[in-house]
Amino acid sequence: MSARKSNSDRTISTYCYQCVAGPDLLKVRIQDGAATEINPNFDAAQIHPAGGRVCVKAYGLIQKAYSPNRILHPMKRTNPKKGRDQDPGFVEISWDEALALVAEKLNGARAAGLLNAQGYPRVAASFGGGGTPTAYMGTLPAFLAAWGPVDMSFGSGQGVKCYHSEHLYGELWHRAFTVSPDTPLCEYLVSFGANVEASGGVCGVKRHADARARGMKRVQIEPHLSITGACSAEWIPIKPKTDAAFLFAMIHVLLHEQPRTRLDLAFLKERTSATYLIGPHGYFLRDPATRKPLVFNTKARHPVPFDTSGIDPAIEGDFAVDGIEAGPDNEETIHRDVTAMPAFAHLVAHVKEYTPEWAAQICDVSAPTIRRIANEYLDHARVGETIDIEGVTLPFRPVAIALGKTVNNGWGGYECCWARTLLPCLVGALEVPGGTLGTTVRLNRPADNRWSSVKPGPDGFMDYPMNPTSRDQWIAQPPARSIHRTLVPLVANSAWSQALGPTHLAWMMQNEDFEHIPHADPPDVWFVYRTNPAISFWDTRAVGEAMAKFPFTVCFAFTRDETNHMADVLLPDCTDLEGLQLLRIGGTKYVEQFWDYQGFALRDQAVPPQGEAKDFTFITTDLARRTGLLEAYNGAINRGAHGVRLNGQNYDFSLDPAKVHDVEAIWDATCRAASAEITDGAESQGLDWFREHGFRVKPFSRLQWYLYPKLVESGLRFEQPYQERLFRIGKELEQRLHEHDIHWWDKQLSEYEPLPHWRDLGELWERALAEHFKVNIADYPFWLITARSMQYSWGGNVGIQLIKEVADNVIGHGSVVMNESAAAKLGIGDGDIVEVASPLNSTRGKVLLSEGIRPDTLLMIGQFDHWATPFAKDFHTPSMNALMPMLLDLTDATGSSADLVKVRIARREVAA
Amino acid sequence: MTRWAMVADLERCVGCQTCTAACRHANATSPAVQWRKVLDIEAGSFPQVKRTFVPVGCQHCADPPCMHVCPTTATRQRDDGIVTIDYDICIGCAYCDVACPYQARFKIDAPHFAYGDSAMQNEIEREDPRRLSVAQKCTFCSDRIDFGLENGVTPGIDPRATPACVNACIATALHFGDIDDPGSNVSRLLREYKNFRMHEEVATEPGFYYLYDAADHAAHSGRGADTAAAADPVAGRVRTRGVEPWHQQHWDWKAAGNFLCGGAGSGLYISAAAAALDGYPTAMLALAALGIIAIGLLLLLFKIGRPLRFIYVLRQPQRSWMSREAWIVGVFFPAALIALWFQSNVLLAVAMLLSLPFLFSQAMILKEAKGIPAWRAPLIVPLIVITGLAEGAGLFLAATQGLAPLAPLAHGTAVALLILVVARTGIWRAYLNALITTGAPTRTIETLIYLRPWFFAFGLLIPALAAIAAFYFPPASSPLFIVAGLSAFAGGWAMKFILITRAGYNQGFALAHTPRRGAGVAGPPVKPGWTVSQAG
Repeated sequence: MSARKSNSDRTISTYCYQCVAGPDLLKVRIQDGAATEINPNFDAAQIHPAGGRVCVKAYGLIQKAYSPNRILHPMKRTNPKKGRDQDPGFVEISWDEALALVAEKLNGARAAGLLNAQGYPRVAASFGGGGTPTAYMGTLPAFLAAWGPVDMSFGSGQGVKCYHSEHLYGELWHRAFTVSPDTPLCEYLVSFGANVEASGGVCGVKRHADARARGMKRVQIEPHLSITGACSAEWIPIKPKTDAAFLFAMIHVLLHEQPRTRLDLAFLKERTSATYLIGPHGYFLRDPATRKPLVFNTKARHPVPFDTSGIDPAIEGDFAVDGIEAGPDNEETIHRDVTAMPAFAHLVAHVKEYTPEWAAQICDVSAPTIRRIANEYLDHARVGETIDIEGVTLPFRPVAIALGKTVNNGWGGYECCWARTLLPCLVGALEVPGGTLGTTVRLNRPADNRWSSVKPGPDGFMDYPMNPTSRDQWIAQPPARSIHRTLVPLVANSAWSQALGPTHLAWMMQNEDFEHIPHADPPDVWFVYRTNPAISFWDTRAVGEAMAKFPFTVCFAFTRDETNHMADVLLPDCTDLEGLQLLRIGGTKYVEQFWDYQGFALRDQAVPPQGEAKDFTFITTDLARRTGLLEAYNGAINRGAHGVRLNGQNYDFSLDPAKVHDVEAIWDATCRAASAEITDGAESQGLDWFREHGFRVKPFSRLQWYLYPKLVESGLRFEQPYQERLFRIGKELEQRLHEHDIHWWDKQLSEYEPLPHWRDLGELWERALAEHFKVNIADYPFWLITARSMQYSWGGNVGIQLIKEVADNVIGHGSVVMNESAAAKLGIGDGDIVEVASPLNSTRGKVLLSEGIRPDTLLMIGQFDHWATPFAKDFHTPSMNALMPMLLDLTDATGSSADLVKVRIARREVAA
Repeated sequence: MTRWAMVADLERCVGCQTCTAACRHANATSPAVQWRKVLDIEAGSFPQVKRTFVPVGCQHCADPPCMHVCPTTATRQRDDGIVTIDYDICIGCAYCDVACPYQARFKIDAPHFAYGDSAMQNEIEREDPRRLSVAQKCTFCSDRIDFGLENGVTPGIDPRATPACVNACIATALHFGDIDDPGSNVSRLLREYKNFRMHEEVATEPGFYYLYDAADHAAHSGRGADTAAAADPVAGRVRTRGVEPWHQQHWDWKAAGNFLCGGAGSGLYISAAAAALDGYPTAMLALAALGIIAIGLLLLLFKIGRPLRFIYVLRQPQRSWMSREAWIVGVFFPAALIALWFQSNVLLAVAMLLSLPFLFSQAMILKEAKGIPAWRAPLIVPLIVITGLAEGAGLFLAATQGLAPLAPLAHGTAVALLILVVARTGIWRAYLNALITTGAPTRTIETLIYLRPWFFAFGLLIPALAAIAAFYFPPASSPLFIVAGLSAFAGGWAMKFILITRAGYNQGFALAHTPRRGAGVAGPPVKPGWTVSQAG
């Protein structure tokens, strides 16, 4: 209620895409020109999975716009020395001066050649938040497309703060850059640390609340009682990084303790490679004539190519067959009358030792519990049942498995992702209603539709754009400082691949060289937007020191922060409520964003730009003009680099490539093209229409939530259980690297197993730390882990008072969470100030005692140890990021590491 | 009839605080003033732990203690059950704050902004100086409800007529509607789900319900759901920070001063008046007693948020003991002064009789503060009355040693004092035992138990021994009577001061059940920061 009646009172529609679980729609109330309230957009109640609501982060946007801590003018650094201890000496300059300065550096880089002497791009860019900055950077992608090679591999969280293994293996196995249960239908969910109630966005929260009301059972398996654990039927406090053992034991129970008839044998035979015969060297046995993998047809008692019609292939048994094995580099081995087993039989043998009793010792979870969970999973799978989706009969398998961040990145990620994908295959629950789904693609193309990205590949599987490992195509000269195309076949080569990395290698290369890889000079120009790698990465001290050596850094800046402390130019862009942009919504996006509609939403200007803040599209267009790239830039816009192609079959709203177009003109054309695209050219309403209505959508078939019907239509199979292709590629990669005398990636090569073995990850971590830091690792008895926070994750909103205020209502923020009994043994009391130290570094903070955490585990929610960001620098909150060393030994084959470290804890001050 | 009510589904709530933020926006409250917020409560022992998220705020009770105690009629109740505050009448006495068992009320005395001293544009636009120094709380967004009723749309169904927190709730855990309408959304939910209201024992009939399980749980358990392992968490340790009772914030030493001075002053006046009726010259003492009472009342005046509106305190004698106290003062003081001026025994007797209801009204003020378990205990009434009499008698006894004409009264006063301090100690013991037996905030009990030996020493032992010793050692009787009197007085003051400023922990929050969470099972009660009731 306002004290006085406002003279004007209106609402503006816009969207929130601060986190990867968006975008969601909202309305901003404007009273007398001031934004005063964020509200849900109930106009979208029928089309948005969460009824048009936005989460708590969106409510911080008004303070973000009006914050007195904002940078309101372009700034230039005056102190040439960079470092945490240096005052940058920023002074205000005009936009003209700022953009001229940036353009001069860009033109200089262009004149010197787009790649530097070592072959790396001279221009680099880092964007945060899982790709969400794209929703706020207007036409910057068109500028980057016009520019040419840009090094996007300086990580700002990727690999260690993301769901890295899932991104890569998920895309390979079921076009699942992100994986989700089919929550609207799921009845039983085993969640290994997936903190959906904190990180699943409004769609996730709403759907899981509905699922609970329906009676879905979710078992949360993780070392601490997270928000999601709190909302689950059962919490099982597993020892950190032992999830793979639990999952392997579940597979064991299904394969060794239950009759085969309880599995979905039809699914296994028709939709997987379970029946493919494996040769003596571990590769598929192939038909000499067609080179197709062989299966053993039990009807004719004879091996035949897998796609022979009218057969009943065996999933188990020993068969004497002739065939060819195709190993690395097309080396073929011809076998005569060799004994071979189907892949499924290999799997059965592989998991024989992985009993619940075995896993119990590793996971610190009782064998009966593991066995019960496995059997409950099977009981709920409803093998044999079907469901009607839009007139199509599909299998109904309402069971799923979800993996959290630290479960599915770094070492162990492969094992867990494999088991998580295999378990649904055993009961026919992959990519079918109720089961485990992918929700977006980022590495395969086209990226806007999972079905379109399904293309036939080798051996009856989907194709996958692996980075080449053949002798003639392997990329010995890395095109980016993360060496991603050279080292990680699975990371592919889409616009996202560089940013997936192994992005820490780009930072490590600033301090050390990797043998037989060209030394990497810093980029000539580094752009930073919506990310703060000096805070949000691992070994943040090293990252901060590395970026201090960069010669010219341009930060789009909302407030001062730890990364832009090292900047040469600060450009104040319009914040979320100030800028203009059109964004695709609906369809299937990240996390639980799978809709029954798809279309577009406008981010309209609710608040006039504060100070001299400029719209991103203005900044970008001006840079394009100043760098002589206007035509290429406009051309990229016309091709849809900024989100919407401006021409189609029966419409053309293309911009004149030779002209400078103002912000509204660009987005008006974009709105018209969007209107035309969504109506097949029938309509062409522009910016004004979107300003009035906010969004427009058309139906999106729910069938497209599921990949299964597309695979059936295409006659393709899921690449499970046996990873023959990865095995071969790993061998080829090993040969390439060894041919170039590169041996420092050998540990990673060991991950290319056709059937993953259990690895003792605790021991792996301890050994890596002990060897690298020459410490007695027994001095570091605790695992330090982290957890997402709905209030903060991805938001870049640490400087917003309202967010801090409400986050403080959620226990754990700002503290080191520790088990009461463990603390008592060390004489640590609630509220004491403690020092938590890894072999690398230490952090201080207040202890919060809890019964909801394992005695061997400490928890620090979020990532805060800001020293420059206004408001946040006064939090005095501990962060694990400075404690985690960037080590090759802790890097898995996909180029990621898990977000945890071994630490010790000691009291420094007694609570007041 | 219509009764608007809120329903919070604990099964759905994820503690995200979106409602908290939406409320801050919709009602333009100051930083940290959260009319709606969600608690995060952990209960149990590793690994059997439950963590529950609990939306709280004004419960819009059918029998709202805040309204009953409000001396000004600022807090009222609409016919539809919504409890309102008129910012233009409220004097900011914060009595409602200590009367609310749900900690729903706020009072801030200066503008607060998100970033220090300077207001942002949105804060300037929405600043409401009427809210300063007065009570504020959740309104159920009554402006939206009224808009809905005026425009023919249903509150709780149409977002324009629905509280902001309900609209914003991303888990659809919050619901709003008319529980008097059996066909309403909320009535349906209350039929379909097991539910409870918080602190039913305080009997305020909250309009805020918590759902924790389906009414027909078996139907929801799901096929093959084996919930055996999800056993009940033992009601063990409770992570309490932020959810345990905290000490009331608004009644500080100045507010305590009213009870200290009022009790001792009226007690002294009674002693002095009784002596005067017996012919002793006690005018100065009576005047001093009135002065002591006046100091207490003045301290109160300085404490209230809007002192210039103090006269509004007289508006509600029908219900509020604070208002009644003011009215009694309004009669008692003139009567006492006139009695002194005219040396009228009749008026003196009247004034003496009026000082008793004054003392009683002070006791009742505390008893009606339903938000403070240590105050609302029934034995608080005799305790406050008798300690007032004891303090007065103690002061009078000391005065007999200073004022020669009163010396003959020393022995009789000492005997009376002896009886009073013994009786006071007996009531104190009964009061404290009752608190321990029925359960109370742990820190209240800890504080009072810490006080117990000191109160025994200074409130009983020293006065009693000194008085008795004075009888046996006449040469030392004068100092002994002074020690006895002042000790009895000081013991009473210390007890009341601690009761108000140290033991005044509020009700805190409690759950009658924790939610079942999907195919899980509902859990046992949780009451953070409370001693377990020994009464069972």
